[in-house]
Order: sequence, then C-alpha cells, then structure tokens
Amino acid sequence: MAISDVREYTHLTDEEVEQIGRELDAIRAEVEESRGAADAAYINRMIKVQRGLAFAGRVTLLASHRKPAWAAGAAMLGVAKILENMEIGHNVMHGQWDWMNDPEIHSSNWEWDTAQPAEQWKHSHNYVHHQFTNVLGHDNDIGYGILRMAREQKWHPANLGQPVYNALLASLFQWGVALHDLDIEAIRKGKKDPKEMKRQLGQIWRKGRNQVLKDYVVYPALSGPHWRTTLTANATANVTRNLWSYVIIFCGHFPDGAMHFTEEEIEDETRAEWYLRQILGAANFEGGPLLHIMSGNLGYQIEHHLFPDLPSNRYGEIAVKVRALCDKYDIPYTIGPLHKQYGQALRTIIKLSVPNGFTTSDKPEPPSPDRAPVERGRKSDAERPSRRAELGGWSRKAS
Amino acid sequence: MIRGLSRDVDAVDAPFAWERDDAGDLQLVARRVTQCALSRICGACAESLGRPVAFVGDDLEIGRNAFHAPPLHLTCAADLAARVDHWRVVTTSGFEFVRATAEDEDRRPVFSPNSLLGEASRG
Repeated sequence: MAISDVREYTHLTDEEVEQIGRELDAIRAEVEESRGAADAAYINRMIKVQRGLAFAGRVTLLASHRKPAWAAGAAMLGVAKILENMEIGHNVMHGQWDWMNDPEIHSSNWEWDTAQPAEQWKHSHNYVHHQFTNVLGHDNDIGYGILRMAREQKWHPANLGQPVYNALLASLFQWGVALHDLDIEAIRKGKKDPKEMKRQLGQIWRKGRNQVLKDYVVYPALSGPHWRTTLTANATANVTRNLWSYVIIFCGHFPDGAMHFTEEEIEDETRAEWYLRQILGAANFEGGPLLHIMSGNLGYQIEHHLFPDLPSNRYGEIAVKVRALCDKYDIPYTIGPLHKQYGQALRTIIKLSVPNGFTTSDKPEPPSPDRAPVERGRKSDAERPSRRAELGGWSRKAS
Repeated sequence: MIRGLSRDVDAVDAPFAWERDDAGDLQLVARRVTQCALSRICGACAESLGRPVAFVGDDLEIGRNAFHAPPLHLTCAADLAARVDHWRVVTTSGFEFVRATAEDEDRRPVFSPNSLLGEASRG
C-alpha cells in the first residue's frame, strides 16, 4: 500500500495527486522568491522583543521578595522562554532563516533555552519526526515513547497510568524532550549502541546542568537574600513554558482528524505524496496573531509540515492557499479552536489507556483496519529503510 | 558507531553519506542524504554543520544550482573535492532540500543553495 491508496485519497487520480504537488510547489516558490528584508526584520524584531523580556524579567526578579515583582518577573521570563523556544529556536533550527546569512540566526549555531541539546533536537525532530510524520514505529512523537496515542499501537497494562504520565510529561516537558532522542524504548530493549548512548547522555548532562545552574543557582544568587523567591519565580517560568509547549505540540498531531500511517504506506513516496501525508498527518488550530506568535506559528502545523524551512511568519498567508487547495480537491484539512484540539488529544490519551475493546475510535478509520498491532518505540537510523533502497546507477562516484 | 552507522566515519575515506559498492566506489546512500539534509549534519564527518555550508558538484550541478551530495563542512568538502577531478566546492548560508517528483527520471533529491557565497573553487 502507498500513501496514494489511503482512503482519503482514493477519489484522486495519480495525475491529480501530482497536480496538487505542483500547486504546492508553486506556493513554495512564491514565498521563496518574495522572501527578503521584511521577513528578516520580523525575526530580528522577535529576538529583540524576546531578549528585552528576558532582561526585564531577570532585573525585576532582583526584587522578587515583593509579590508584584515576583509575578511580573515570572510572567516576563515565562513569555520570553516561550518565544525563544517556539517562535525563535524551533524555527531557526529548521533552517527557516539560514538564507539571511546571519552569523547568529542560523540552524548551525543556535542553541536554545531548554534542556535538550540542539544537535539532538535536529535529529529527533527535524529528521525523524518531519521525515516520518505519524508513521507508526518510526515517529517517536506519537506519544513520546510513554503514551499510547494510536489504536494500532499494542496495549500494555502500564498504559493504565497514562493520565498520570501525561500530567508528568506536561509539567516536566523540557526534561521529557531532553531525553527524546535517546530513544528510551531502544535502551530498554538493549538495542541502543552504548557508545552513542554515552555520547548523547554526556551532551544532555552538560546542557541540563547549565540550564539548572542558570535558573536555579546563578540568577537566584544575584538576588542575594531573596534568592528563594527568585528561584521559585524561575521555576514558575519554566513550568509555564513546559505546559504551554506541551499543549501546542500535542495539538499538532493528536486531534481526531490527524491520521497515522504505516511503513508500507510511505514506500516509494513521491514529493506530491509526501505533501499529502503531511496534510493528513497534521492538525491546525485557529487563533489571532498573538496566539500564533506565542505558539511558534505551529497553529499552522499543516503548513509547517509542508514547508518546514520556510519562514514561520509566512505560514498564515500560506495557510489560506493550502486550505483552498484542500477544498478544491476535497482533501481533509483538520482545524479547530485550540481548546477543542487539545480536548480531543486529552480524550485520546484517556481512552487509549485501556484496551481498544473498551472504547470506540474517534478518528477516521485507518486505511487497513486488519493490520497487525505495531510495536512501541521507533526504529533506529540503521533499521530505517531507505524509501529507495539504493541509488545504484544514479549515484555519484567519489572514489 | 555514530548516528545509526555500524562503522567508523572518516570524512574522506569512509564518509557518512556514502558506502562503497562491490567495485570499491563510493555511492551515496539515499537515507543518509535525507538524514544529513534534515538533521543538518555534515555528509562526510556526520557532525553538526557549520556556517557556511558547502556543497560539492560538477559543472552541471553548479550550473543547475542542484546538488546531489549532502551539505558538508567547508574543510570536509575541500578534502572530498580534492579526490575527484570534476568536483568543485560552492558555499552557501542556506539551502532548499528538494524531493523528486513522479515525473523526475532521476529520483534522487537535490539541494539548492539559496544564498550562495562567493565563487566556486576548484577542489
């Protein structure tokens, strides 16, 4: 089975699928050609605002023993961390701003204000998640290795604790993300290479230690006798950022309309089919400009998955065209208010904590309901099949 | 083992994105090319890319601004290009990763630099 056989596509001819691809290419080309000074001004302004908020928050917290200063400082710092992680760090590391040739705002250089090392994020997110979006057994973002988020995944008695694991994951999200590329499931099964694990653990330890030192030692120490209130304000800012990023990320792929796929369905995928899988596997949420900025423009998750390296400030205009295209070809385009999207994700977490027989599915039926349950965890890079196994005669010789 | 590879990586003799075929020639491995593109790691040494990003290619690839080999560090690119007569090195700040369409006879993805820096140099 290929992605083009998925039920939602079956009304499309091969030529229509390729035409959709051409129309999406045209949308991409239009943005690439018009990308310029206004976009550069946007990201520079965003970084300036974020740094201003972080500075103001830290300074205000020098007087954290006063309740209004504590509240204002924690709020400013929380917003600064959200902006840095969502609208700046995540998007810079996708290479959305590399075209600017800025020595600092570049995917190679950016290290973000969270516990996961940028290098590991670029592997687990940019590569594994974006290349194998919602493909069971490959994309570890389907439940982050601890939650059962698809009915096709085997149920285990440990899943009964999902509502609790979910609450812990949300509160400690940056630490969950920090461990994401380690692939705990592979470690548990003894499949992880010890040298690679040691290398990754070393990176996580150094990054995590610096984050802890910054927020829980150095800045509190600067507050002198008020160190304790500054520490609690910093912790509040971190937890706020954790909860917010968790909600936004869970709204991207777990609302009812977002489909899951199997390895067979992505075999020999063309660019147009890859585009279609991104549309079917992602979900948007509605909101005003401020909500979209605070969520790193991931309310336009479909557009982000179609064009992960186009500047995030353009996703709004791209979304209008993509939605019209989906209407034209009668392709599902999953969108709803934030509370509805998150509510659906939360309902799935709770329902899938018990075996399938106890609940009914809220999702569109999977393309092959009879397929075998999929093992938990993700494949390693070595196990991941090449969609075109060998390049053979096409390959460049460099001997 | 690095990044899922069951062998050591040597930026020149055993680069990450290539494997030797039966004749001993280095051949690009599609999966690793995609991994380099999205993880933004060097196709030769498999470490995080730097700035500028370098590509190696022949006159045709340079003329079309579409490269088959993955992004590289400048030094890794220069070392690789020194091994192949017809390869030159170009540098860029950013690139687009372009997947093949059904109509493309050559089904390899290509890299299109979007902010070329300076002249291509002979490897």
